[in-house]
Amino acid sequence: MAGYLASNLHFAGQQPLSTVYKSLVNLLALVNDQLRRQRIMAFTFSVDGTPADNTMICDVSRSTSIGTGTEYKPTRLDAADGVMGGLAIINFLAEPTIDPATSRTEGWAFNQRTTVRWVAFPGKGLIVPAVHAAGLAFRLKSPAYTGTAVCDVLVDE
Amino acid sequence: MRNPHGYLTISGPDGVVEQDTSLCNHCGGIVRMPPNKQPGDVGGVCKQCMGFVCDRCYSRVGCDPFERKLKRAEARGEALRSYGLAG
Repeated sequence: MAGYLASNLHFAGQQPLSTVYKSLVNLLALVNDQLRRQRIMAFTFSVDGTPADNTMICDVSRSTSIGTGTEYKPTRLDAADGVMGGLAIINFLAEPTIDPATSRTEGWAFNQRTTVRWVAFPGKGLIVPAVHAAGLAFRLKSPAYTGTAVCDVLVDE
Repeated sequence: MRNPHGYLTISGPDGVVEQDTSLCNHCGGIVRMPPNKQPGDVGGVCKQCMGFVCDRCYSRVGCDPFERKLKRAEARGEALRSYGLAG
């Protein structure tokens, strides 16, 4: 398995947050590329706007459509590895489809000044199935903060 | 916790909170395991697949492991593509 990094800082055009969930990064498999399972091995949520004490709510959910955003192949951690078969989408203009009743894997509320980091133990990552347009969306919302945020995702494929 | 599946760190101005996490064997979701809690406090153990499951999955009847769900979904796509349909 090869490791890749997807980040919404990869291209300019970070989208502002609001009171409804905003996807920062979506990792998915597409039939036009190579359908392979991906394992999310780590992710980080943090905020890069003016520091304040607002509530932030992060969420990792399974998506079933692509949405509209900047598509790119995540960065290889080892230059000797091949290009990732899956795709990362960042800077969403239209959100991917997510059924909140069945697709939410986990979410946490935290202070805006906080950084949230989750790391999987080897072989125990969150799985993105090898199904066309199925993916994992890393989302944030806030009742008060309307700036931008940062999400980094390490993925094995 | 013995044999956790992951580790969560929330670091902020009030300090650092660290927790072990586990993956639900039925939905594949992340479950936080607060210190000194038993699996039954945050979900339970499925008596059919003997895997840890989250609260939501524990309250549902039947055992449908996540790996089986994945294989079903992937097999459906493979079948559709073999018929020449997008999937």
